[in-house]
Amino acid sequence: MRATSERRPGDPRAREQDRVLLRRYHEGGDTSARAELIERHLPLVRSLARRYAGRGEALEDIEQVGAIGLIKAIDRFELSREVSLATYATPNVVGEIKRHFRDKGWAIRVPRALQELNASMSGAIERLTVRLSRSPSIGEIAEELKTTPEEVLEALEVGSAYSTVSLSSGPAGEDELDPLETLGAEDAEFERSEDRAALAPALDRLPAREREILRMRFEEGLPQTQIAQRVGLSQMHVSRLIRKSLATMRDELA
Amino acid sequence: MPAALVQQIVLEAPLADAFQPVIRLIIGGIAERVDFGFEEIDDLQLAVERLLAAAGAEGSVRLSFEVGDGTIRTHVGPLRETAIAEALQGPAPPPGELTLRRILQTVVDSFGVEEAADGRIVVRLEKLKGVR
Repeated sequence: MRATSERRPGDPRAREQDRVLLRRYHEGGDTSARAELIERHLPLVRSLARRYAGRGEALEDIEQVGAIGLIKAIDRFELSREVSLATYATPNVVGEIKRHFRDKGWAIRVPRALQELNASMSGAIERLTVRLSRSPSIGEIAEELKTTPEEVLEALEVGSAYSTVSLSSGPAGEDELDPLETLGAEDAEFERSEDRAALAPALDRLPAREREILRMRFEEGLPQTQIAQRVGLSQMHVSRLIRKSLATMRDELA
Repeated sequence: MPAALVQQIVLEAPLADAFQPVIRLIIGGIAERVDFGFEEIDDLQLAVERLLAAAGAEGSVRLSFEVGDGTIRTHVGPLRETAIAEALQGPAPPPGELTLRRILQTVVDSFGVEEAADGRIVVRLEKLKGVR
């Protein structure tokens, strides 16, 4: 994810810049303006997502759900409105996060201890990977988190079942712009495929970031740890995105 | 793998999606016994998951795990979906093509197709600790 310039909420200059970008996007169809708006407001999403941390889901997953709300707000914003984009986006972001928790049914179906274990898992894997210079075993993760290997496995499975939302899952439409579109520059190799019996057509419909992650994993043969470093996500999240992308592609072909 | 050191676990499970998390959990538990790393476990789970997805969602499947020292050899089948055999035995996919074969090439150390009765097939997957 690219660094976002610091801006204070309510800053009149920032608000005016937002309006210029909104006009470019809504009146001129300039998708780069939309991408810039997304990037400018990601700190808002992060700040709102932090309020929902500690409820059994990794913070980065909550941020990604919140980003969907931001994208919807940008897309639905009417220029005749007198409110700032930040003011308009806030309830959209919060609503999306709340809906996510409600839809996933996390809080009612998964024991709290397992939720908490899952939430702490990603950080533990990152720490151990750095410390050991390799992917940790389940036993090592269990030791780090002072629990049993069986509980670690269960929590991992719970996480993969409940945390499949992608930052790229924005509103429907073929020309949607991924918030991390900038990561998609290296996907030309995958797109050359012409074999319709293969997964290429479905691959084309994946968001740029997911395509790029698949390319790094299955074309370059990079391990998840290296991919995670390159794209700035946790290894657990990269693992989930790979699984979800392959499943999505398969479903499209079914 | 020396036969004396190999332990076998056999599982028959429905192919329906609802049982995939159960199969993943069992693979995780088996791989944990041979001290596979997080990513190695994830690789093996992904290999089996993709293979089962290609096998369809009806009926059941037999999975046999031979667990040795730092090695898990998995046999999946017999499967009726012989297109899997063609996909795995045909020519190597060109660069940029994401096929089942390329996925297995990436996530397991070796794989192969064995013939079973009634024209069905069994797919063998082998994953070693600390190789990839």
